[in-house]
Amino acid sequence: MRRFIKDIFMFIPFAGLVYLLATFLWGYGLPMEYKPNINYKIGSIGHMYSRLSEVGNYKDVDILFLGSSHAYRGFDTRIFSDHGYQTFNLGSSSQTPIQTKILLERYLDKLNPKMVIYEMYPETFMIDGVESTLDLIANDRIDKLTLGMVLKINNIKTYNTLLYALVHNALRLNEAFEEPIQKEGDIYIPGGFVEKEEGYDLPVEQYEKKKIILDEGQVAVFSDIVHELKTRNIEVILVYAPIPHSNYDRYLGNEYYDSIMKGYSAYYNFNGIEALTDSLNFYDSHHLNQNGVKLFNDKLLNVLDNR
Amino acid sequence: MLFNSLDFAVFLPVVFILYWFVVNKNLRNQNILVILASYVFYGWWDWRFLALILFSTVVDFTIGLKLKGEQDAFKRKAFLWISILVNLGFLGFFKYYNFFLDNFITAFSFFGMEIKPNTLSIILPVGISFYTFQTLSYTIDVYKRRLEPTEDFIAFSAFVCFFPQLVAGPIERATELLPQFYRKRSFNYSKAVDGMRQILWGLFKKLVIADNCAELADRIFNNSADLNGSTLLLGALFFTFQIYGDFSGYSDIAIGTSRLFGFHLKRNFAFPYFSRDVAEFWRRWHISLSTWFRDYLYIPLGGSRGGTWMKVRNTFIIFMVSGFWHGANWTFIVWGAINAIYFLPLLLTNKNRDNLGIMAQGRYFPTAKESLLMLKTFGLTVFAWIFFRAENIGHAFDYISGIFSDSLFKAPMFLDGERYQLTLILVLVFMLLEWKGREGEYAIAQLGQEWHRPMRWGFYSLILFAIGMFMPSNESPFIYFQF
Repeated sequence: MRRFIKDIFMFIPFAGLVYLLATFLWGYGLPMEYKPNINYKIGSIGHMYSRLSEVGNYKDVDILFLGSSHAYRGFDTRIFSDHGYQTFNLGSSSQTPIQTKILLERYLDKLNPKMVIYEMYPETFMIDGVESTLDLIANDRIDKLTLGMVLKINNIKTYNTLLYALVHNALRLNEAFEEPIQKEGDIYIPGGFVEKEEGYDLPVEQYEKKKIILDEGQVAVFSDIVHELKTRNIEVILVYAPIPHSNYDRYLGNEYYDSIMKGYSAYYNFNGIEALTDSLNFYDSHHLNQNGVKLFNDKLLNVLDNR
Repeated sequence: MLFNSLDFAVFLPVVFILYWFVVNKNLRNQNILVILASYVFYGWWDWRFLALILFSTVVDFTIGLKLKGEQDAFKRKAFLWISILVNLGFLGFFKYYNFFLDNFITAFSFFGMEIKPNTLSIILPVGISFYTFQTLSYTIDVYKRRLEPTEDFIAFSAFVCFFPQLVAGPIERATELLPQFYRKRSFNYSKAVDGMRQILWGLFKKLVIADNCAELADRIFNNSADLNGSTLLLGALFFTFQIYGDFSGYSDIAIGTSRLFGFHLKRNFAFPYFSRDVAEFWRRWHISLSTWFRDYLYIPLGGSRGGTWMKVRNTFIIFMVSGFWHGANWTFIVWGAINAIYFLPLLLTNKNRDNLGIMAQGRYFPTAKESLLMLKTFGLTVFAWIFFRAENIGHAFDYISGIFSDSLFKAPMFLDGERYQLTLILVLVFMLLEWKGREGEYAIAQLGQEWHRPMRWGFYSLILFAIGMFMPSNESPFIYFQF
């Protein structure tokens, strides 16, 4: 028995080392399709790398935007700047409350906002958060908060990507990386907004109906976030940013969702803006084009001015 | 609790430590720990059904004791039938109630009679088909005086609910497993290491081969009407490897886990896709179930001792019942019947025991004749699996007619080309390893035994890496849990 236990304790670090090396070599040398469980994309869609590279330059902002791609593609920092607000947009692709919490722990003290506008797409309360975790692993620093997040997400893809990123960062393979301001039709605007070159949503097929079922874990983290912000006397505005009507209407339980969100803080659902039309103001089934962004942001500014 | 879950990764070492370090001095305490661990293992899924296992245990234990003291043939038979009715009654209710009801409705509506039945929303208790057969084997063996009934309720309970094989086998005979609960178990280094190796291989089969094939097989079977013949053929092949990887992977983990606790379970799979005829396939596939049906159904029915008619009848009965055991759907019954049709010519021409040895034993490559025979048997098996996987008989026939259409010779319609390519490569590597290790108990049982330790450990670590790299990121249950 002693020999068996000894062998187990020797095998675990041995296998761990082999696993780490194999993960790095496999991840580094092979194309994406042969490494389904490593998804390391520095400079991935959404310009998270650029956003986090410049977040250190901002402090004491008036408004901090949080949320998914609906946030970083929906809140144009230039429009708010024209209205006298200094803002920063910390949205990221498919950002769920688990990632929002990490970002706030890292950057809230420095940004020190007077107000947080938190974009509330219900899907971010319904998903596991893997995509956004991968985004953060590749584009932000790796520390104990990252490890905590990866353990919470508990998905083989995030474990492998974290291991890969550790070696990748240790070997300083990112040092020469520079993310282009303009790529794949996206233009990064200082302050975290991403502008889409003009585009229109083509008529879409009928979406399958989907019931809003909130993940209890995500809701609990969200609740902590709101509580923490309020404790710091930061005003919290929850915003359901506009999505095409055809997409919005597929969700069963929108009113239920609105009622829940109203319980946490001031909440505004902007999906009733009459001026927004699916074919003219959206470039895909989720995101506003620049015309749509202007309409939406003007409405939001009206709300802020009237408060 | 699933073998491929983090819960089990914590559960197993905890039980192992308690078993060998805390209660190791006392056999009875070890058995009690096995019972507690098994009930936790099973209750993790749904604790309410623990009552069923407990009830089945009490009934069969009591009947065993009654049979011991009873000499009257009529009463002995009555006790046996109580056990059969209780066990098969549970199985029939939970697994087949709605099937029979639906078929009655269909039959009555055929004659223009409309009935409004009370259908029930019944949850199928995981593993009921497995532990029911295991406890039945005990009562039947005691009845036939092949086994002394036990007076040790703890040992008997542990035998019924032994967690490694409780929910998906191998279905153990009381004559083989029960005595192991009476004997003091001592830790054996070589067996424990072998157990770990077999668990590793089982996880690879399940997580890398079965789960990847499952994603593609599901996608193809669920959209079969829109796909061409070559894609449908690929779908059938993916399912063929899915079910093998899934079920034999489970058996490997079960056998390996048992070894860690000093138990020996019977081999359940012996490289069935390297068979030269269907009879050989059935000696290598789900061995514990095949031999159960052989010993408790086929032989009591007269086996192959009678005339041609009896052989035909018994073969059809055993295969169709075996099919029905898998699930309450006509697809399983037809799957069984197809296998009976495959098997009968071999039986009737006395060729069913032509291939008893290992394919190409001692050689790297099979002969051309062996290769052709293996290919033919594999093809027949793949064809039969289509019925096993299809939603209903109509779907199976549509699927088959889709394969045998002009589009069979067109390029497959890859919905996600790279995924298909990667899965095919994984299956190829897997089958090469299986071929290399086909003379062992399982593919990697002997592989690398003569290597230096760092190399051997490196090999095992690479299997772990392959699991981590290629397993789908969502946990999926074993197919045989539904049976």
